[in-house]
Amino acid sequence: MIPTLAGRLQTRLFLFLFIGIPITLAYVFILAGWKWDYDIAMPFLLFLVTITGLGLLLDPIYIFIQTTRWDRDWPFAYQFFFSWVEFAVVFALARAGLIPWLPVSVEGQPAPLVDFSSSAAIGLALLHFTCVFIPSFFALLGPLQAIFVRWRFKGGQFGKL
Amino acid sequence: MITFPVRFRVRQIGIDGNTMGSSRILLCEEPGAFLVGKTDEADVPLTGDAVSRQHMSIVLTAEDVRVRDEGSTNGTYVNGTRVDEQVLEVGDQISIPGWLLELLAPAKSAASATRIAGVEVDASLVSRLVITDDDAPPPSRRTFPEMEFAGKDTVGIEALRASGHPVEEVKFCAVGGGLGSFVWVDHLRCYGISASDIRAIGTEEVCYRTYQRYCKNSQIPDHERLRSNALSRPDNIWGFPGYAMREVGKGIGVKGIFQVFGEPTLSESYTPRAGDVFDSLDVEAKRIGWSDMLVKAQVLGLRKTSDGRYAVAYKLWGGEAQGEARNRYLIADVVHLSTGYPATRFVDDFQTFITNHPDSRAQVANAYEPHDQMYAEAERRGGPVQVVVRGRGIVASRIIQRLYEARNKNPDIRILHSMRTPIGPREGAVFRKARRLVRNNVEIQPFNWPKSCWGGDLRVEYERASDEDRGIMLGQLGGTTTAERSDWIAIAERGAEEGWYRPVYGNISELQPLPSPGPEQPDGVQVSIDTVEGNIETLNADYLIDCTGLIADIRRSPFLADMLDTYHLPRNHAYRLKDGKPSQGGATGLRCTNDFEIEGLRNNAGRVYAAGTITTGGPYLAVDSFLGLQYSALRSVDHLVTERIHKVRNLGPFRSFGGWTKWMVGARP
Repeated sequence: MIPTLAGRLQTRLFLFLFIGIPITLAYVFILAGWKWDYDIAMPFLLFLVTITGLGLLLDPIYIFIQTTRWDRDWPFAYQFFFSWVEFAVVFALARAGLIPWLPVSVEGQPAPLVDFSSSAAIGLALLHFTCVFIPSFFALLGPLQAIFVRWRFKGGQFGKL
Repeated sequence: MITFPVRFRVRQIGIDGNTMGSSRILLCEEPGAFLVGKTDEADVPLTGDAVSRQHMSIVLTAEDVRVRDEGSTNGTYVNGTRVDEQVLEVGDQISIPGWLLELLAPAKSAASATRIAGVEVDASLVSRLVITDDDAPPPSRRTFPEMEFAGKDTVGIEALRASGHPVEEVKFCAVGGGLGSFVWVDHLRCYGISASDIRAIGTEEVCYRTYQRYCKNSQIPDHERLRSNALSRPDNIWGFPGYAMREVGKGIGVKGIFQVFGEPTLSESYTPRAGDVFDSLDVEAKRIGWSDMLVKAQVLGLRKTSDGRYAVAYKLWGGEAQGEARNRYLIADVVHLSTGYPATRFVDDFQTFITNHPDSRAQVANAYEPHDQMYAEAERRGGPVQVVVRGRGIVASRIIQRLYEARNKNPDIRILHSMRTPIGPREGAVFRKARRLVRNNVEIQPFNWPKSCWGGDLRVEYERASDEDRGIMLGQLGGTTTAERSDWIAIAERGAEEGWYRPVYGNISELQPLPSPGPEQPDGVQVSIDTVEGNIETLNADYLIDCTGLIADIRRSPFLADMLDTYHLPRNHAYRLKDGKPSQGGATGLRCTNDFEIEGLRNNAGRVYAAGTITTGGPYLAVDSFLGLQYSALRSVDHLVTERIHKVRNLGPFRSFGGWTKWMVGARP
């Protein structure tokens, strides 16, 4: 699939809704000890929302990069690489306490249950994103075509040609 | 106008593919139809096990010379392409098993009619003539389907039944029987149409036979790789899993997966083996019941019927039926046209050369016509052999690789690579912000169009553009390119270093035969090139292989020409920028809508769609590719769904996934 801008946005949201959210819910459920814990779930969900949001903002830039390539394509390797760049940027900002809705410990206040500035958070966030990234990336390699037969000709958009 | 007598040079071909004995001349002194075959009644009797009793006819009128297959078992070929009926040009080669007939230029005088290049040739094959009165219809007119079709644009079903020819009714009919037809029928089947509602009419038992023949001629045997993407598989409408994954499954290797991951930036683009593509097509053909739907026949004509359908006239090939019983009509609600390249056509100077110097015909070849004997001869001959390869496309790359392989047997083979101009590393084609890569004076592109023409932003933009803008985009994005393959680059670099490969820049201005330097030494060809520096460089070569490609001239197919004339169908055109303004060039493909419908053939509920090279210049750039055939099939079948006239059900996510699961387990759709 060679993405167009509309296709990028739609596919990103689709993967977020149908792969990202279910996997995050499962992840936090297991992390909380097989039970639902709002204070553990929300930071991870918001973390994923932030990455998706950043991705939607970056998509026009990726499309610009495509227009400088003769084939105007987007190699799978780029998709792989930039997914992790998006993760790294959001995580670095969260760690520095620059994203108000992602909790970090502040001196003099009780530490939040999920603390993005803690060293434990690196491992947990990495594991979370890996769990979401792997199936999302593989879905792009072809399985989506089995369900949406026109998707590959529409640059990642859904619906009729 | 045709000048009589029309002359054919007839040569017998041995099992090894070389000519045997001396050539003879067939003189056809007046218009008429001459039967060629094994039977004693044939006007031109030719012997051989594989020649049919009534093999083909040569049909001469005042306007043109044609060859027509008469339902032969082993087929009639023009310049390597199997044909039903074909208008011939001087230099065209007709081959039937064991024989080669070549249309010669008219003789300058009656006395020279039996001479080729000044040498008197055995003219024992003077045809028996069919003399015609002016009143009588010319013998070239066949009665089928002309009796019912000629001069009419709409025919009644009753009239067809009254003709006495068998009439069959079906919902969907695919005309062509090649890959384009197969992909369309595959879509119909996966959308849930029953095999009993579909007929595909074509002359080949196997849908990829013609494609495979082009591959073989241009030196891509089954184990070599094609120029195609992993996910472009004509046997699977979903394109997943791709060929790279199939190779892993078959234990061929995992390298392909990494190629797909990194292509085209980090690794060379993955491409499938020709044989793997054919094998998987065989599997799909079995799954969808292709052989039950296939009618082995040649399509002669198409007319609208008065009840909003179409009548397709066809003539059965092979099988039990004989004579008139082979002529039949099929009535269909929806017709799909995918007849492919009508024939190989040569570039002008090449045409002139083979016209004027028929004796040197074996010294020059188009890469798409059979020319294996050149490599065999070059390998066998001790001593130097010079081969001029013309063109810089993917075919030229493969031909050069083939010559490189031949150097294992004869290290004295030298390759002169003729290209119009050098292209510097920063001189590739430009489209807006992007520039095409150049390696060794050849533009590099993984596939024959930039990738986003298939499904990215260029597909959308091109489809929405006006005729002029489409024409301009086609010019900017098209052009001759080859794939970036390290082995090909290495051949050019090593060859240049060691002196057995040399690029030559300039226009080929003249081709002349080069007389044999001595007995037992074959002739050669002298190639004059107007070099970029303004000199004329003369190359004395043993062979010239022209790799400038196939020219699709849809009027050379009598079936399409008849339809164009009967329904005044509009055509697409090429466009060129002239002083900054687009100006219209020559006609290209058959005009169709964005859904690949031929609007001029709409007949109430009846619909005709097209696909493949006959739609060149239309709504999609990459029509002549596996993925392009799938795109056009998807568009046209979806159009049938949208219109709701023919009860084709939509392929939404659930049905799509269900159909794909069936494909995965190999169940019938």
